[in-house]
Amino acid sequence: MDVTQFADMAHLAAGLGAGIILLGAGFGIGMIGKGAMDAMARQPEAAGDVRTAMLIAAGLIEGAAFFALVICIILANT
Amino acid sequence: MNKFVRTAFLLLFALLYVTPTTVIAQDEERNYGDIDVIAKLGDRYYIEFEPLPKLYLPRILISEGFHFFGSTKSAMNSGLFQDQFYVENPQAFVAGESGPVTYKLVRTDGTPVTLDLSISKHILWFWLAGFLTLFIFGRMARKYEAGIGRETAPKGAGMNFAEVLIVYLRDEVVKANIGEEKYMKFAPYLLSCFFMILFMNLFGLAPWGQTPTSDISVTAALAITTFFMVNLNGTKDYWKHVFAMPGIPKFMLIIMIPVEVLGLFTKPFALAVRLFANMLSGKMLILSMLGMIFVFAGLYGAGLGLASALLWVPFTLFIYALKVFAAFLQAYIFTMFSALFIGMALEDHSHHDEHHHAETAAAH
Repeated sequence: MDVTQFADMAHLAAGLGAGIILLGAGFGIGMIGKGAMDAMARQPEAAGDVRTAMLIAAGLIEGAAFFALVICIILANT
Repeated sequence: MNKFVRTAFLLLFALLYVTPTTVIAQDEERNYGDIDVIAKLGDRYYIEFEPLPKLYLPRILISEGFHFFGSTKSAMNSGLFQDQFYVENPQAFVAGESGPVTYKLVRTDGTPVTLDLSISKHILWFWLAGFLTLFIFGRMARKYEAGIGRETAPKGAGMNFAEVLIVYLRDEVVKANIGEEKYMKFAPYLLSCFFMILFMNLFGLAPWGQTPTSDISVTAALAITTFFMVNLNGTKDYWKHVFAMPGIPKFMLIIMIPVEVLGLFTKPFALAVRLFANMLSGKMLILSMLGMIFVFAGLYGAGLGLASALLWVPFTLFIYALKVFAAFLQAYIFTMFSALFIGMALEDHSHHDEHHHAETAAAH
């Protein structure tokens, strides 16, 4: 495989990878949002604590998603 | 309202109609697609205030001695250093004056310089954020020392707004994560972290501004500071949980110790990448959205490009508003995770021991 073909494959991989990351991260953060909404509706007095915990969990997922996205950006620039 | 919508539609159709066909004919020559987003977001050794000429920043290079130049151009003209572009493409080199291209300076023989300590635009904005934090909050601290805000109500919108943020962060972030007794030691670091990151995030939204946090080296520096704050203040218990996790079989330590040691470094790494990627992606999104206008103009002609601006500019404004929110959120998340890690390092883990917990529960 020559170099230009490799670059094309890298671009394809970057695009596909970004899509798959989005699926995973969106699903994960959606689950957290759902859980937090349920918890807040059930116990409105604990809404503040739930929100903090939700942000922490969302931040962790986001961090993992961004690791993957950085790889995509690197691939897209090859 | 109705009138406004009608005017907008009229304007759109007028734009479509007015577009002279000659402009479309010229499109092949004019390259609308030439906006290098990556280069726009990268670090540069000059600052731009668009209609004015570029303001070059001093270059400080260490290579067989200390060299100081007023600008990249004067460094190139000294004969000691050369832009990497000219070294790699000797045919582009013309004797006499030549402008910098990549701004990456190497020695004239092509070898890299030992250390490039040049002041770049990100560093400049980083310093500005630091000085702004010092200035604003130093002044505010003196006010509190004099009694304004402690004995009387805080004065002015700025002081009120800052007090809301400071009290919220102190109570909900620092105290909640670190604990009653020790939080005062870390509150100054975490609060200055929050406000400095907030300023840096917001700079990028101002005209001509730059977001230093969209540079990985800036966020890495911040994360390294947090890394030292966490590990230099770690209790005996914290280190015991890294190197000799209590309550698990001895042979499991072979797996646990590397994982825990890796965990020490992945925490600040995630901290740095999260902030960097959030800020960079926001800027990239704004530039890409605005770039769509030029893509449309390139594909379908200048008229449709201009008309599509009616769609893309509101989109960009929406992202912009989102970015203002993200600037606060990311500064908050950085502060909260820093507080969380410091809190974990200070915590007395003895109550985490489950069998111990069960024992005390059984005793009661």
